[in-house]
Order: sequence, then structure tokens, then C-alpha cells
Amino acid sequence: MAVHVGQAELRVRQQQALDAARGELVASTERGEGGRQALARFSDAVDEILRDLVEAVAAETGTPIAVCALGGYGRRALSLHSDIDLLLLVGGRIGRPEERFVKALLHPLWDLKFAVGHHVRELDDFDRLETDNPEFLLALMDLRQVAGDRALFDRFDGILRASSGHWHPQILDALVTLTDERHIQFQDTLYQLEPDVKDGPGTLRDIWATRTILKLAGEPRAAAAVSAPDRLRDAEEFLMQVRSGIHLDMGRNVNVLSYELQEKAADRLKYVGPDARRRAEALMTDYFRHARAVTRVLGRVRRAAKPVPATPIRLIGQNLMWVVEGITFADMKQAAAFPVSWLRAFEAAASRNVQVADEALALMEREQEANRHAPGTFLPTAGDRHRLMQFLRPRQGLAAHLADMRDCGLLGALFPEFDEISCRVTRDFYHKYTVDEHTLLTVRNVERLLDHPRFGPVLRELPAPELLVLALLYHDVGKAREGNHSEVSADMAVPMMERLGLDDHAKETILFLIRNHLKMSRVAFRRDTEEPEVVKQFASLFSTEDHLKLLWLLTLADVGAVSPDTLTGWKEELLWRLYVDAYNQMTLGYGDEIIDRSEAAAQLRAGRPDDISEPEIAKFLEGLPRRYLMLFTPEAIYRHVRLSRDVTADDAHFFLENKAAVWELTVVSLDKPFLFSNISGVLSYYGMDIVRGHALTSLTGLVLDVFQFIDRDRFFERNSQGRQQFDRTLIDVVAGRTDIRALLKNKERSVVFRRAPLVRRTPVIYFDNEHSQRYTVLELVADDAPGLLHRVSRVISEHGVDVDLVLISTEGQKAIDVFHITRGGAKLAEDAEAALKGDLDRMLKESA
Amino acid sequence: MKLIKAIVRPNMVDNIKEALGKMNIAGMTVTEVRGHGRQKGHTAVYRGREYEVSLLPKMEIEVVVPDPAVDEAIKAIIGAARTGEIGDGRVFVMPVEQGYNIRTGEKDVV
Repeated sequence: MAVHVGQAELRVRQQQALDAARGELVASTERGEGGRQALARFSDAVDEILRDLVEAVAAETGTPIAVCALGGYGRRALSLHSDIDLLLLVGGRIGRPEERFVKALLHPLWDLKFAVGHHVRELDDFDRLETDNPEFLLALMDLRQVAGDRALFDRFDGILRASSGHWHPQILDALVTLTDERHIQFQDTLYQLEPDVKDGPGTLRDIWATRTILKLAGEPRAAAAVSAPDRLRDAEEFLMQVRSGIHLDMGRNVNVLSYELQEKAADRLKYVGPDARRRAEALMTDYFRHARAVTRVLGRVRRAAKPVPATPIRLIGQNLMWVVEGITFADMKQAAAFPVSWLRAFEAAASRNVQVADEALALMEREQEANRHAPGTFLPTAGDRHRLMQFLRPRQGLAAHLADMRDCGLLGALFPEFDEISCRVTRDFYHKYTVDEHTLLTVRNVERLLDHPRFGPVLRELPAPELLVLALLYHDVGKAREGNHSEVSADMAVPMMERLGLDDHAKETILFLIRNHLKMSRVAFRRDTEEPEVVKQFASLFSTEDHLKLLWLLTLADVGAVSPDTLTGWKEELLWRLYVDAYNQMTLGYGDEIIDRSEAAAQLRAGRPDDISEPEIAKFLEGLPRRYLMLFTPEAIYRHVRLSRDVTADDAHFFLENKAAVWELTVVSLDKPFLFSNISGVLSYYGMDIVRGHALTSLTGLVLDVFQFIDRDRFFERNSQGRQQFDRTLIDVVAGRTDIRALLKNKERSVVFRRAPLVRRTPVIYFDNEHSQRYTVLELVADDAPGLLHRVSRVISEHGVDVDLVLISTEGQKAIDVFHITRGGAKLAEDAEAALKGDLDRMLKESA
Repeated sequence: MKLIKAIVRPNMVDNIKEALGKMNIAGMTVTEVRGHGRQKGHTAVYRGREYEVSLLPKMEIEVVVPDPAVDEAIKAIIGAARTGEIGDGRVFVMPVEQGYNIRTGEKDVV
């Protein structure tokens, strides 16, 4: 029964009710409990106020009117300072009495300082739904009657249901468009340093959008794509609590979680940590975890809501098939039982440049969450581990696959150390992304480098680019723990490398890159790189040019992943110049840096074997370039010392080793004309492809040549006496008993020997007289070809030029050879250079 | 008030910041720029090929200081940025009519 109450009394009562409700919500928020239940209680209290008001003003009209809540209020998720959206549904024509009703209802609400959004509509307006106003129709998805005429509301609800087949598909499309437009306002990324917890990607509005799509699509596939419905509820609870805190702190309807508010929210939600920054980082780590889960579910639901055309299913392997959505499992139960097949799905997707389908990702996510499989489950055999390394080779789409693997839990299962940085926040003004996202962006940057005119060729020519990706995956994992993160990351990479069974070279490379991943940017951006000593010191970090190249590419990828604007053309230029200067220092300028007796003894004394004396080591090393100590391990150096014993002019002491994919020939001899050319000639004669190597000459005339080569024709494997035959030829050629030119003459005519390169490039012959005080440095870049090194070095020797140091490298089909040369103990004169260049040019043209 | 604009070597920014900090000049704007003065770049050679490096990376520092502090600030910048080699950079000084704090709307008093 309606009770007449004076207006003033009503207002006082309602203000008290509202104050009490707000007080309760504030108290809950202060306790860190401003989530779903608190907001529902607040919404209910506002319902009561509305009902009270409607009852008080009902006498203004005899027309039935239903007062309905829309939007967040309709969902009983009203925040402290939220607008309240109302639909006043009139069951007849709107005349003066109805207008009086509306005013009488709204004015007290405004007096209570509510921001009210209201629609006043006649029921007849809905005979034909206005599909050109999708926002209003979307708001109707959360329609809830609060007060007024129930029968009228039921009629309206019936109309909406009856016509849902007509308007639901239309607003589904509209919702997707509106969602995209909203995301664009946030640069389409959930990684916001100060996020909007209501409208930003991965926040409350996306949770609503996900649920609305599920309702509108009515598609069981969409529901199945929500791998864990609890995730959405957890995210909603967290975001509501945070939003309640923002409203409380700001005293108005704003939803941006600023830096300052992050610290308050962290304290309110009882995050622990040694200081405010750490507590805020922990809060933001949770924020990003939730936002990412919401984004993932929304994406899957959106894709699943679209009708899928019938397409043929292609079986592409054991329990794997290729469907329109990508690669999936033929039998889900079998896939759940054999986690090894999960990585196979990603391999299949990567090789076909398609995605792994959502249903397969959802299965992996559910199974990994339930079973927490250890890394070994996925990589039981050496073959599986090898396949993983192949999968990690840079290619287009790799980062996207790694992101999918991370999201479904497979990446964290394979690399538990990586899992520790999941959603980890580094709170400063430089890092825009969480640590794991930053890491995956570095991999995406590596993909982009592949097509870059300057960086692409270097990346493509690396012998094991997967090591770069693996180093990037681990370069920041140490940020999850205390201490210098470069060192901690390296320590954390060790167990991973053991699990993967990596060889020593790979381990050393990865550890080097992780430990030094900040060095190059520090030197390039903060030191005077025009100072030769700075470059020299930087170059001394590297044992090989490959390490320099890897660190350069890693730095580019790393800096570029800090935020979209961090790697400017300016910084790229500085890094490029430092790379070139260091590369030139390593290849052109290292000849002047000589090991002195005391230094050598000090460095190698510690692990000296009993059979080698300190003076013997010192004598061997004296006059060799200092770089030698970087190139070889102490064990290798001791072997070289032993080889050098009693070597004579016509003698060569050597050993040949099979090192996995390559062979290595180490020769110690005394310097004499054509020596280098003759040894490389022997390798060519036996069909060996020289891929890299060094020749070093000490001031005392001792020569150390190390060649790494590939036995492409498997000569050693096919000939039981092959090794002995090779040894004999080498000894005879060095002693001068056999003329290698004569042996090679017939061979050079054969078709096999004259393998044509896939791409022909004009050879580059360059003389440098700046980088070294002692040497003219000849740099030659040409198409690699059998016997090239032999022919080049022979032409050089024919000019009476001494070759003291040689660096040999092969990148793809390109040979890059650097010779440190003198004539008569001095640098080459201009005319001598010109004559040598002319003959080299002629020889290269004839060879081509 | 004067606007001091200094074009300096990239690695000198920290030195300059420290030198100005000692004068209690804390606010500055730093921009990555490229250019050349008398130091017209050089040729870099990589794998036997020559690359012209005509515009060199530099940093531009802008700082607004009260008139009485201008000379000392210039000295501090030059002292912190000098190596004695070509390419150390330039300092320019320009008058500033007014300055405002956007947050408070207050006019700078000099």
C-alpha cells in the first residue's frame, strides 16, 4: 500500500539509505573486498531507493510504467561513483502525466548526486526494433526490472525474446566492431602502464563483451572455447576490487589505475613486498595476468562465434589435422594422453605458416593446468630436443606461436624458468610491457630483422640462429629473482641447457649472450665510441665474430622490445657503427696486439699440465696476436704447444678431429712461402668445404693454422684409408715433395668441383691501411667456391707477399677472408696493392 | 630567462646533467638528433664496402635558466662536454619571454 510521505522526509530517508549503502561499499573497498558481492549489495541498495521513489511518485500517472536498469547497473555491478542507466518503459502514450512521473523520479535522483542516463520509451516503440542504434540494443542485453509494472516488463521481455533471431546477429557484429574501436583507443594493446580498468583491453568491458557474445552467438563452439570460465570470474573480481578503490581514492567516476593509485591499490589488496614499488609490481603482475586471460578468452570466443565454412580436413601426421582454423588434434583424448604431440602441433603449424586451432590450445591449457607436466614429458628423446631447437630457428610467425605456447602453458612447461617471469612487471618509465611479453617481442623483432636490408643478411648467415632465440627467451628470466639479473638469468639458463643436451659451444654462446646482453647498448649509447680504446675494449669481449653478430642482433631486438618508440633510427645507427667498428677491430685491427711473455705465463699458469713448462708456454705464445688467447681454450693451447715441439722447416705437425658437424684441422709449422696456400689446397683437393678458420704467425716464425671444414662428399667416411691418405698428402705437400697445383689441375676441370653459386655477386677486394700499424689488411668478399682460398692465397704469395694472419669465414654462399699481409716486412705500397688487386680480380673472374 | 640549446656527443649527456645538477638546474629536455658541423662524418668500411656516414648521431639538450645563471650554465655545459676533438658540439643561447607551469598555471618568476 502506498504511503504518502512528505518530500523532505523522503529525501532525508533516501540520502540516509544512500549514505549507508555507500558507507558499506567504502568499508568493503577499504578492506580490499570491493568486488562482485559488494557491488551487488550496493546495486540492491540503489534498487531499494528507486523502488521507494517510484512508489512515492506512482500517483503522477495511471499509465503502467516499468523502471528498468541497464548496463552495469543492470548487471548489479554498480561502482561507488558509476552512472546509473535507466529505461523508463511506458505502457501507453507519453503525455503530461507521464512526463510529470519522469521528472518526479529523476529530480530526487539528481539531488542525490546520481549521474543518471535515462531512456523514456513507449512499449509500442519496440514493435519494430531500431537496429540502427546498436549501443542501445546492447544495453538491453543487461535489462533488469527494478520497480514499476511487472506485467508491462514481462510483455516487453517477451517482445525482445521473440525478435531475438532478428536483432541478435546484427548487434553481435556491432559489438565486435565497437570492441575493436574501443581497443584502438588504447593502441590495441593491453600493455598500458596506467591502464583503464573498465574500458582498456582485457578489462571489465571485455569480460562483458565476452559474455554478451556467448549469449548472442548461442554457439556451443564459442562456449567450448572458454577453456576455464573461472578465469573470467577471477579477473572480474580483481578488476572490480581495483575499480572500487579508484572510485574511492578519486571521489569520482574515473577508472585509470595511475602509478600513484597502483601503490594504494596494492596496499589495500594486501600485496606483500619490501617496499611500495615491489608491492605495486606484484599488483600489476596480477593485473596483466587477468587482462591477458580475458583478452585470450575474448579472442577465442570471437573467433568461435563466427560460422565456419565446411572445408576438407587434411590429416597431416599422427593425430594431427589441418582444418580451417589451423592445426588441431584428430582425437582430443589421445592428445591429452600424449603431451609430446603438443609441440608437434606447433611444429606443423609453423611449417605451414598457420595457427594452432583454438580448440587444441584450449585442450593444452586445460590439461597442463590439471597435470602440471614437467619439461621432460614433452622432450623424452634426443630427437624431440633437436626438433625443439629447429622449431626455435627464426622465421615469420615464430613469436606468435611462442605467445600461443605461453598462453596455453606449454612454453612455461618446457621452460619453467621462463614461467617465473610470466606477467612480471618492471615498474619504470621505460618498460611498457611485462617481462615475458617483452621477451616474446624480442623474438618478433628478430623475425623482423630477417627482412631488414642491413641486419637480415647477417642474421640469415648465422650458423645457429636458434641460439639467439633461446638466449633471448632467457635473457631476462633473472628479473624474477633477486640480484644482478644478467648473471641470475645466466645461472637459470644452465639447467635448461642441460635438459636440452646442448653442446659446449652452444652453452658458451648462450651464456655469453645472456651475461652481456646490456653491454652493447651501454657502450653504444653511453660511451664515446669514436675513441679507439673504447672500441678495442668492447671488441675484446668477443672470442669470435659470430658472438659479436649475435650480441648486435640481440641488442637490436632487445632495445626494440622495451616500448614501440625505444629503438629509434638514431640508436640503430649508433649500434650499427659500434658493430662495424668492433667487427673491423676484430678482423682488421687485431694484428698489432701481441701477447707478451709475462701476460701469457700469468694467464695459462693455473691449469698447466705437468708435461709443459712455463717457459715453453711463454716461448710458444710470444709474438702471437693477443686474440689467440680469446679464440682458443687453455686445453687447446696446451695441445698447440705440444704440436710445436721439434717442428722443422719442411715439417708439419697436425691433428684432425671430427667435431659433430664439422672437421677441424690444426697444423703447426714454420713459416715459408705458399704454406697457407698449400695447406688450403690439400683440403680442396679432398673436396673439403672450408667454413671458417684462422692462420696465425708468431714473431718467431711459428705458424698455427686451424681450419674448420665440412666433408661434404663424406670422403673420410667412405674411404677406410682416407685419413691416412690425407695425412700423407699434407705431409708431402708441406715438405715440398708433392706439388698441390698439379694435383688440383685435373680436379679443377671437373663439373663437381665447379659448383656454381645460387646467387652471383661481384667480388669485393679491399685494402685497409688504417686499422693496423704493421699490416696491410686485405679483405675479400666473394662467392664461395671449391678451392677459392687456395687460389686467392696462391695469388697473394706469387706477389712475394707474406701472409701472417688470416681469418676465414663463410656465411651462406659468401666467403669472407681477411689477410694481414706485408712485403719485405712492411705494408704494401700503392702500386703493389694495385697489381695484387688486378691479379686477384682476374683470377676471380676466370674462376667464375 | 634564456633558452640554452646544446648539441653534444651522445655520451656526454650524463656529464652535462651532473654539471647542471650541481648548479641546481634540474629540468632539461633531451632529444636524439643527427647532424654535422665541421665534423662532416666519415666513411665506414664494412666487409670491404664503404658506407658514407654523413650525419652523425648527437644529443640536443635544452635548458631554460634565469639570466644571472646563464654564463655559469654555459661554462658547465662546455666543461662537461669537451674532449678537445672536432665534433664536441655547439651551444646556442636564445631569449625566452615567458614560461608557465602547466600543472599550476603559475608564471615563472625570474
